[in-house]
Amino acid sequence: MGITEKILCSSTHEYLLDNEDGTFTIGLTDYAVEQLGDIVFLELPETGTEFKKGESFGAIESVKAASEIYMPISGKVIEVNETLVETPEELNQDVYENGWLIKVEATGDSAEMNDLMEYEDYKESVH
Amino acid sequence: MTKETYLHDKHVALGAKMVDFAGWHMPVQYKTSIIEEHNTVRNAVGLFDVSHMGEVFVSGKDALKFLNSVVPQDISKLTYEKAVYCQLPNKNGGLIDDLIIYKLGITEYLIICNASRLDEDLNWLVRNKRGLDVKIDNQSHNFSLLAVQGPKAAELMRKMGLNTNQESFTIKTGEVAGVKVLASRTGYTGEDGYEILVENEFSEYLWDKILEDGAEFGIKPIGLGARDTLRLEAALHLYGNDLDETTTPIEAGLSWSIPKDKKEDYNGKNVIMEQLANGGTKKLIALKMLDKSIARHEYEVYFNGEKVGHITSGAPSPTLGANIALAYVKNLKEICTDSIVQVMIREKLHDALVVKKPFVTKRNKVKGE
Repeated sequence: MGITEKILCSSTHEYLLDNEDGTFTIGLTDYAVEQLGDIVFLELPETGTEFKKGESFGAIESVKAASEIYMPISGKVIEVNETLVETPEELNQDVYENGWLIKVEATGDSAEMNDLMEYEDYKESVH
Repeated sequence: MTKETYLHDKHVALGAKMVDFAGWHMPVQYKTSIIEEHNTVRNAVGLFDVSHMGEVFVSGKDALKFLNSVVPQDISKLTYEKAVYCQLPNKNGGLIDDLIIYKLGITEYLIICNASRLDEDLNWLVRNKRGLDVKIDNQSHNFSLLAVQGPKAAELMRKMGLNTNQESFTIKTGEVAGVKVLASRTGYTGEDGYEILVENEFSEYLWDKILEDGAEFGIKPIGLGARDTLRLEAALHLYGNDLDETTTPIEAGLSWSIPKDKKEDYNGKNVIMEQLANGGTKKLIALKMLDKSIARHEYEVYFNGEKVGHITSGAPSPTLGANIALAYVKNLKEICTDSIVQVMIREKLHDALVVKKPFVTKRNKVKGE
């Protein structure tokens, strides 16, 4: 099964991957990164920070513009991709394997995922 | 409805990302990246479609008198085939637009203005005719404008048959690949280059031919994204960001372009002359961020804990490898080159150093500069 078959996507272009151990990986969709263009800056939260679903947990900037990144579910940050913060341009190559942003422990209800879309539906919604 | 230039389908075929800009559907970048396009113009040569810009011909017995009444610059000093950077102030000295005026004949001038301001400019010019014998002829829809910019621009134009023995800020009729053009040695990138005015029907041919003949020089088509980072490095103003109707040319740092001794009256002269002597209420400063953060349009600027202004343009500078910005701040003498100010970015203050303009200086000057 390819990674895009396992992720859920938000309308604000974040993806959520269930690591099946109570933790989730959060990143930006390939479509979002492609639209942003050359990524030059990434700001991510500190480990231990808690966010509610829909709250901004970071920022990403391309040459053209700055965008906020939002939580697709409520969660507590347990790991941050510090390597990516140092070399944000890597996001233009890959958003999943090396291009993930944070890992979280879910703190909300699983119903929070109801408005997230399967990758194929997400792709259709943005085209 | 969004307008399209005659080269619209060329951009789409080249895989450009298209955006709406000033009412036009324009390429923001092509297939590679803004940074790569930017570097192509700094190191080789790039081709831009800037056909959205306005071309207005001003002619008639009173053309000189008319132009002198609407711009602070002294058009009587503009000689045949020369160009001058001008502004169009309102009665308060605020800028309706910035533009280039060319002298094409004894009583004939060409104005090239911003696409976003063409309608306002035309209205203003017509309102200011005051019975003078002058014809204001908007020909924007009949011309395409191709900008060929970069250190290899002249070599490429020479190869394509243009006589490149032409000084900076001049305009000449000539031929490029057998097509009759008006070639202006000007640009908006901080590099040497040409802006080639051509009738619409030849624009597609010329676009393709320039890309084909430019291949050996490493030419690439360049979108509005790189156009913005290039002009920002050169500290060239973008109307709507760095200039508007509440900003005078003095406040915008354009005092160098204002003659002190012009006799004729023009709109806003009292305010502009007063500010030329004493300074305006605000001033445009250039900033280099001291960390990795990027200051963007409308972010607030602080000095000694006090809010003193806002960012007008900001972006990464691919040439410097630093993040740069322009900002309007209160006209305090304490804020000068080497001062440190702070920019509020996502609710945190980030230090920025006030630097001299431009951020990047031209390496290969041409005669006339």
